[in-house]
Amino acid sequence: MRFKKLAVAFAASGGAAALALFALNPATAQAAGASTSYEANLQAINGSNASGTLMLTLNGDQATITEHATGLAATFSGKPYPHVQHIHIGAKGTCPTTSADTNGDGVISTTEGGPSYGAIGATLSTSGPTTPASGTVLNIAPSGATIDYNRTFTLDAATVASIQGNTGVIVVHGLDPATLSTKAQAEKSDLVPSLPLAATSPALCGALVAAQTTAVPAGGAATGAGGTSHTERNTLEVLGLAMVAGSVLLIGGRKLIPARTRS
Amino acid sequence: MRNVVKGWSPRSAATTLAIVLAVGGIAAFVVGYANRRMPPPRPSAAAAGRITPTTAPALRSTSTARPTASTRPATPSAATRFGRLPISISIPSIGVQSPIVGLGLNADGTVEVPSSFHEAGWYRYGVEPGQNGPSVYLGHVDSTSGPGVFYRLGALRPGDHVVIQRADGRLVTFVITGVRQYSKTAFPTLDVYADTAVPTIRLVTCGGAFDSATHHYLSNIVAFGQLA
Repeated sequence: MRFKKLAVAFAASGGAAALALFALNPATAQAAGASTSYEANLQAINGSNASGTLMLTLNGDQATITEHATGLAATFSGKPYPHVQHIHIGAKGTCPTTSADTNGDGVISTTEGGPSYGAIGATLSTSGPTTPASGTVLNIAPSGATIDYNRTFTLDAATVASIQGNTGVIVVHGLDPATLSTKAQAEKSDLVPSLPLAATSPALCGALVAAQTTAVPAGGAATGAGGTSHTERNTLEVLGLAMVAGSVLLIGGRKLIPARTRS
Repeated sequence: MRNVVKGWSPRSAATTLAIVLAVGGIAAFVVGYANRRMPPPRPSAAAAGRITPTTAPALRSTSTARPTASTRPATPSAATRFGRLPISISIPSIGVQSPIVGLGLNADGTVEVPSSFHEAGWYRYGVEPGQNGPSVYLGHVDSTSGPGVFYRLGALRPGDHVVIQRADGRLVTFVITGVRQYSKTAFPTLDVYADTAVPTIRLVTCGGAFDSATHHYLSNIVAFGQLA
């Protein structure tokens, strides 16, 4: 009985201590309250065999995006293949299935995928504008077989609302023409008629959903003060040197002290 | 000798003090020097291992359907979440035993680190230990004068165990699968914080060269693991 009371008291105090431990301090509570992370598991579409992961952390209208994708088409006319990529918004918030290929050419074009993922809300360019209008500007698109993309920029209200409303979808474009049907290889892009269909068709697609980590931190961690790797002398060394110096001074100064003092 | 026997003499006292200072000073210097010349262990290439869990990644379903409430874990009640909070960490192979403090975000969006050099912390906007997803723990490699709680993190090897005790009393054991060092300018954000289909753990500390100008290490050491 007494033990039970003790146990209850112990549990209560432990609980209180744990609560105190995890009590939100105002500064960090504010930071996390303002940030929400979403993740898109990027999956191959149109037989691209590519894959990737994208995390988007929303803080007000600021989006910080970290993306890694591999297996994309590597070259286009002998140059690194530009892969335009966007946040699509305002539709079902899903990636299209093969049934979206309404013209039966074996390729789900960007337009054919529209009913699933919607229009462009923002362009994930490497520099410069991120507007829908810059959606097919090839020289500011990431390029090559592997994309490692990191950028923070401002989203418009419609894109923020779509992401928060779970209808944001990431689409990475650009297929290897050799993987397309003969018919599709001859077709022009539905978005930029001067380009082949392969150049602008989706290669990766992933719906943005709430990430398990509710707010992904920026960068690394400042988890060291250097005490074991300093190139400068530390306090203990300085103290030691001072003590030795003091000792030398004492021995030197000792001669000034009379050998004996009579009382 | 006569003075020593007969009584106090400033001269002999000065001699004694000089000897004490000399011996103590040399000892302090040697200890201080040794402290700053024992860089933390760096993960070996053999310890790089894997960073993705072995269990079939259920998250990579072939379905194009949007994940719905039924496929995502329900938001736990406050009481349930409280029970899952980590309260201590034990890593027997490198002699770590520490209580755990909660960590949030700094104003600049970077992750908070423990205020004590000798206590580990848990990133509380991440995942609780035992839940699907990455549960992230951070600890200092050193203080300004000696080793910190995660000093030996770089010596962890795949197969080593990490035991987290939760507020509900449950012990959650993880097995380390890989230990790697990264430049802070190329911190593996996705590998550390992205969704995982099973419960995973990430232990983070500092490593590499120390920049005496900025007072920061230039690299992070990350140990990756999954539920044992």
